[in-house]
Amino acid sequence: MATLSIKGVRKSFGSVEVLKNIDIELEDGGFLVLLGPSGCGKSTLLSIIAGLEPGSGGDIVIGERNVNNVHPKDRNIAMVFQSYALYPTMAVRRNIGFGLEMRKVEAKERDAAVQRAAELLQIEHLLDRKPGQLSGGQRQRVAMGRAIVRDPDLFLFDEPLSNLDAKLRVEMRTEIKRLHDRLGTSVVYVTHDQIEAMTLGTKVAVMKGGVIQQLADPQTIYEKPANMFVAGFIGSPTMNFLAGTLEQMDGALALRHGGATLALPGLEQDAQAFIGKQVVAGIRPETFYPGQGQGTLSGTVDVVEPTGPDTMVILNVGGQLLTARLGSRGRPKLGDTMTLGVDTAAINLFDPESGNRI
Amino acid sequence: MSRVLYTAANPPARSAWEAINPMRMIGELSETRYWMYLLLLPSALLITAVVLYPTLYGIQLSFREMRLNRPALGTDWVLFKHYARMLADPIFWTALRNTAVWVTSSIALEFTVGLIAALALNRNLPGTKVLAVLILVPYFLPNVVAGHMWALMLDPRLGVINDLLVKTGLLTGYKAWFADPSTAMAAAIIVEAWHSFPFFTLLIMAGLKGIPTDLYKAADIDGAGPFAQLRLITLPMLKTIIAAAVILRVIGLVNSPDLLLILTNGGPGRATQVLSLYAFQTAYKDFNFGYAGALSVVMFILLMGFAWAYIRLSKVNQD
Repeated sequence: MATLSIKGVRKSFGSVEVLKNIDIELEDGGFLVLLGPSGCGKSTLLSIIAGLEPGSGGDIVIGERNVNNVHPKDRNIAMVFQSYALYPTMAVRRNIGFGLEMRKVEAKERDAAVQRAAELLQIEHLLDRKPGQLSGGQRQRVAMGRAIVRDPDLFLFDEPLSNLDAKLRVEMRTEIKRLHDRLGTSVVYVTHDQIEAMTLGTKVAVMKGGVIQQLADPQTIYEKPANMFVAGFIGSPTMNFLAGTLEQMDGALALRHGGATLALPGLEQDAQAFIGKQVVAGIRPETFYPGQGQGTLSGTVDVVEPTGPDTMVILNVGGQLLTARLGSRGRPKLGDTMTLGVDTAAINLFDPESGNRI
Repeated sequence: MSRVLYTAANPPARSAWEAINPMRMIGELSETRYWMYLLLLPSALLITAVVLYPTLYGIQLSFREMRLNRPALGTDWVLFKHYARMLADPIFWTALRNTAVWVTSSIALEFTVGLIAALALNRNLPGTKVLAVLILVPYFLPNVVAGHMWALMLDPRLGVINDLLVKTGLLTGYKAWFADPSTAMAAAIIVEAWHSFPFFTLLIMAGLKGIPTDLYKAADIDGAGPFAQLRLITLPMLKTIIAAAVILRVIGLVNSPDLLLILTNGGPGRATQVLSLYAFQTAYKDFNFGYAGALSVVMFILLMGFAWAYIRLSKVNQD
């Protein structure tokens, strides 16, 4: 177990800068998720932490040790790859024990460690098979077995669940969380799946264009996104953005959008400086509820999408489409006029120019 | 108008034309199990004409007398006479031993150089794409051209190699590499390896492209050094390709006498006499086709045995 400090890490490929001054601190036993769309630099950052790729600047410190010039094998890390990267010509037993074999650990000790890891992951019955004879989920388990068998300081996961089907992905996600709770080893986990980020991470770094957009715990990222990119990237269906003018009305703030006015009592943000200016209100679909409320919006029903537990209603409010997640009861009809209350305390206001949260 | 019910027991009557309509007959034939043999017939005829007949003819030749320069002997069956003669023929045993040396040494050298070249070219350094094409040049040269080229370069009086070796002090005097029984075979093996190593390079490079880079990253983290990675990941993953390449090269080397024919013609003495060259000379110098046929049959059996044993030993079929 160890802490991880990423200090001012940069990476350029020629003139293209893919990582710009990344700073992250991860506590001992923490679970850091690097989240972002394809090409945001998250996998490159992971490779730099692993030592598989040199950084163009900055420091990686694992525990107390600066590992900038340390070979991957000497960093005491273990990595699970998206492709699993199991050695196809070796049986599962040797795959798991390969790291120990290369470190000249005695066969007896090695077998015992492999056995322990296999028991933990419930793959004892697969030990004599070759990777080609395993299913996707089983390969995933073997890859995790190979990682935990050495008892490393740091686990690195590079989109480990991307190649699994939806059901298995949920199962393995739970498995990874259980494993982390049990072993308590620090983890860096790369994914583009926000659900994985929210469920697994103790800390989430949302990245875009080689820059960390926000580094915080999952709840903060969800409730108080630092900017419109983070707000739009996290949450499904995505956050609604309603542009309008901020006004003072009856002692409280209100957003005027076209002909409609959304009163914003109980808004936590200090937005006094933006009165009379354009702002964007970020409203999560689940903050809507049927009927009147502190703030109220009316519009015509454009689309109704029942999902089982919820009904998604897309509402046309003055030409802008807003998605509301409503309970399963009461399905509005297309074209109906509908009035929805909004939990205004959960609204985030953004500066449309910078995109940042006010 | 009465309606007729056609059943299997009561089919509609055929017109006279229907009975001989070829399209209808083909249609009916296509529903039977003979159809598949009919479809195989063109390829079967072709294979019989160009593979099966010559092979069987060659085998039956080995059991007959056939000497073109002594027609008086006739072309009668002699059963195992040629094979019995072979057992007592010292040239045959020398050629067999030389063939083993020629084939194993050439392939060992070609494989080693080919593997090193493929690994180097696979690193995607600047210029490797051009080098990858240039390195194939020797393989593009016909054996005859390559043979004459090297014969000239190794020539004791005119050759550039002797000149360089003498000038650098590695050799005291000009040497006739192919005239000395102690160096003839080695010199020929080097020429052969130079000519054919790109074959291994090409196939191994194709194989290397198929190995996922993640494996090497995982091995890096697991602590496997470059040699361990080569031994435990690269070579096992190339097993099938290497096996195929070795079998193809062995067949090529055992069967083609052309390079040795040009460089040494089996000499000096019998220092570089190999089976294929011996069979060739027996047929086209001595005109003894019966004995040459027997030599060819032995080569054929040896190659079959080798390929079978090699595939079994390299466990290619097990993965």
